[in-house]
Amino acid sequence: MNKYVKEFLHRGLMFGGFGPIVAAIIYLAVSYTDAEFFLTAKDYFTATVSVYILAFVHAGASVFNQVEHWSLPKSMLCHFSMLYVAYSICYIINSWIPFEPKVLLIFTAVFVGIYFAVWGIVYVAVRGTSKKLNEKLR
Amino acid sequence: MKLRIVIDNEKEEEILIYAHKRNSLIESIERLVESTCELVAYDGNGAVKLNENEVYCFISEKGKTYAITEKEKLQVKMRLYQLEERLGKNFIRLNQSCIGNTEKMKRFEAEFSGSLTVTFKNGYKDYISRRQLRAVKERLGI
Repeated sequence: MNKYVKEFLHRGLMFGGFGPIVAAIIYLAVSYTDAEFFLTAKDYFTATVSVYILAFVHAGASVFNQVEHWSLPKSMLCHFSMLYVAYSICYIINSWIPFEPKVLLIFTAVFVGIYFAVWGIVYVAVRGTSKKLNEKLR
Repeated sequence: MKLRIVIDNEKEEEILIYAHKRNSLIESIERLVESTCELVAYDGNGAVKLNENEVYCFISEKGKTYAITEKEKLQVKMRLYQLEERLGKNFIRLNQSCIGNTEKMKRFEAEFSGSLTVTFKNGYKDYISRRQLRAVKERLGI
């Protein structure tokens, strides 16, 4: 098996379990703010499975950045696409967003905005660290 | 400081220094010992002696360990953790499969993927894992 596929599965299995925990915390918080909040067994099952897959994909997709023979645009595109598809499906099948073009457009815009904002913050922090380390090398 | 040399074939060779504090003499002796401590590496023709100061980094690939020098990639029959124990303090673990020589590092770079890489003076490039980043920063005095 390709080492990156193995690493994808390894990371996914390690962190996949965090998905249902996060979902449970969010549902608990919602239940405190909405007195009429109610989950059926089917809702609960769908949410648990889908957020497990979401966390699995999220953790596994981090391996794309380490595929040495891939160019940066390719690894970013694969990372972004996989997360976008996973999040979209998860949100739609759990009815967290309605399946309507306008809503999907807003969802996409928010997703793109957050994705690149997080990427920018991480990049600036790492660039600061590399600058400090380079000063010590001289 | 007194100097005493005992020639004894029965005992393991060792240099032991008693001092009130670390000073430049001790550091010079340390560097001298480190520079004369040779490793054995293997190229296509057989075994060659390798001074660790010639090594840019040690890497692990497909279960084998290699020393990367300026122009060569030589196999070393030791595991990275074993090397880590015996190498001088200018060597530091960069990730699970690389130990780098800080004296041979050219520059650090932030990658667009959010990872940090180091390029050695021979052009070899490897990444610094998040787990090792703190140790690298401490070693370089940050």
